[in-house]
Amino acid sequence: MMVRSTTGGTGAILPVTTFFITCCVLFSGALFALQAEESPESELQATEAVAAEAVVAESGVESTVEEVKDPAALKLEETLKQNSKCLRCHNRDRTKQLEDGNEMSLKVHKDDYLASAHGEVKCTSCHRAIGNRKHPSKSTNITIASEREYSLEMNNSCRKCHMQKYKQYKGSVHSALVAQGSEKAPVCSSCHNPHAPVSMLDYQAETGLPCKQCHENIFNAYSASVHGQARINGNTIRDSHIQAPICSDCHHSHEITALAIGDVLRTTCIACHENVTLLHNQWLPNAGTHLDIVSCAVCHAPFAKRKFDLHLYDNVANTPLAMKEGEAPIQEQLQAIADEGGIGDPLEIWKARGGFGQDGEVVDISLRSRMEVMSGIAAHQIASKSFAVRTCESCHEPGWRQKQNVTVSITQPDGRRQSFEANREALGSVKAIESISDFYALGGQPSKLLDILLLLSLAAGIAVPVGHFTLGKMIKEYMARGEK
Amino acid sequence: MSTNPTEQNQPEAWIKTKDSELYINPLPVRIWHWLNALGFIALILTGTHIRYANLFNLMSFETAVKTHNWVAFAVIANYFVWLGFYLFSDRITVYHPELNMKKFFEKAFKQMMYYGYGIFKGAKSPHKVLPYDKFNPMQSITYQIVMLLVVPVQFITGLMMWDVKRFEGLIAMLGGLNVVVTVHVLIYIFFVSFTLIHAYMGALGHTPVTHFREMFTGYEEEH
Repeated sequence: MMVRSTTGGTGAILPVTTFFITCCVLFSGALFALQAEESPESELQATEAVAAEAVVAESGVESTVEEVKDPAALKLEETLKQNSKCLRCHNRDRTKQLEDGNEMSLKVHKDDYLASAHGEVKCTSCHRAIGNRKHPSKSTNITIASEREYSLEMNNSCRKCHMQKYKQYKGSVHSALVAQGSEKAPVCSSCHNPHAPVSMLDYQAETGLPCKQCHENIFNAYSASVHGQARINGNTIRDSHIQAPICSDCHHSHEITALAIGDVLRTTCIACHENVTLLHNQWLPNAGTHLDIVSCAVCHAPFAKRKFDLHLYDNVANTPLAMKEGEAPIQEQLQAIADEGGIGDPLEIWKARGGFGQDGEVVDISLRSRMEVMSGIAAHQIASKSFAVRTCESCHEPGWRQKQNVTVSITQPDGRRQSFEANREALGSVKAIESISDFYALGGQPSKLLDILLLLSLAAGIAVPVGHFTLGKMIKEYMARGEK
Repeated sequence: MSTNPTEQNQPEAWIKTKDSELYINPLPVRIWHWLNALGFIALILTGTHIRYANLFNLMSFETAVKTHNWVAFAVIANYFVWLGFYLFSDRITVYHPELNMKKFFEKAFKQMMYYGYGIFKGAKSPHKVLPYDKFNPMQSITYQIVMLLVVPVQFITGLMMWDVKRFEGLIAMLGGLNVVVTVHVLIYIFFVSFTLIHAYMGALGHTPVTHFREMFTGYEEEH
């Protein structure tokens, strides 16, 4: 071994140098790609910097970037110089009077800003309306309606560099709520302080920020759950380095969707709990059907209140039926199903109320059923496996239906689900056999009509033999008397 | 064949007995019948437990479902004993329907009169039980419907409920799980009275145990 290594030493210089140069070029390329994704504006500077680095690497001469007079470094110097002008005033407690009567703080914590990911971005890159020459003064004052309005407007500044994330956000339930005029739904700056942005990786399970700001009850439920506790304690999933999930692992960070819709929730759980079907198959009859129809939390949040949800489903598109913008009358029809569903066929009620073909199209709709937990809070109260419901009787017992909360629901334009409390009798109604055709809880769903038929059958099974036997005896006695 | 020395050595009486006019229920039929009877009772009891768990506290729901499934598979397998025997034996004539409607109704009416009145006077059944013509017209029509329609439908709906996922396409074609379950429950309801009445009518022989004994020995008892 020693001999081979010594003899090979001189011959290996060329390949090692080539390898080193290749690495430098690849590393520079990767750096360039990263910069290009995060900051399209700095593309030109980055290209120049990479070119400079590549030259340095290929020449094989050890040299610093400064020595080549990197234009990017010069630009940064200029940016910091300009920013320091802004920060000279904005590092102090300054406020601006808004049109809604409130005051908006204009203070930027200098140190936080400079240390942040935005520390090397020009103030005017985002605050375009406020250039050095156009800075508002008493004579050229800029009017701002409210802090909310300003934040909404500033979303566009974020979009310039973070296009991908912005697109994801636009498809989220948060953005849909903003579009509907919600005053509370988050814009970029609600979660990310633009003057001290931190990586999402820094959001910890202990603090719950930024989600907890609005979803405090849900976050508290999560914190106490098996997921929250495992995350706080730094536990990883068995045989892996995967940590227990925080909010964004299931809900994503920007394309936040309502998880209760369709298969989204189950798919999310199965993404980590891969062998879930196999494990349930080992003991649970009809495991696949249970996993389809029963939401994970129904058994894994054992103390949660449950409900039976009948969801309007578009059979043609094979997706949950979604309300279109401005389809307010549907709510009345849903309420009608909810009120009358116990005595009639929910889909017939829906049809009778004009629920089909709102705009002339013929729609094939059914009611899909799911066992779910009552609230979003309950959905996060996931307990350790050993506490999960394993007794069949918790659903499969005759009193079950009477105890259920039944809802009829539809997907709203923003992707969330709107539920109406419905008549419990809908589940046992003979008229609903067809419309609620995909669901049957053994033992938990007796129908009065079938109960009566069973009693009649049992009565016939006893009455026919007893009646025949008695008749025979009577005839024999009568004949015996006649013979006498 | 008769030249075979081993066959010649068989006791004469045994061969004669097998061919006898009294040998009504061959061994496969008897095996099938009693296994089926036990299976039906177990299925009705576990089925009732699954549907009305709070009525009796015999076992857990899980045990009831698992027992129901296992017994059901045994009953399905046993059905093929019955089917196989009759398909490959000339005894299938016992199930041949009376195609002449006039004759059928006349015979059926006579049979009803017998059960409704004649039997109490000690009259003989208008139907003479023979190995190749075992059933009276009412039995014949009932058993045909039960064995060729009702029982297979119960098996198929039960199978679909046993593994909903596997048969989801078929279930959807039939109108959904709720429809399949309702059919299964309706047939269960039918079998509750059928089993009770069947057992009672089994006791209407010369003595209450005559027919039961016949179903064990295979031979009709002379009286």
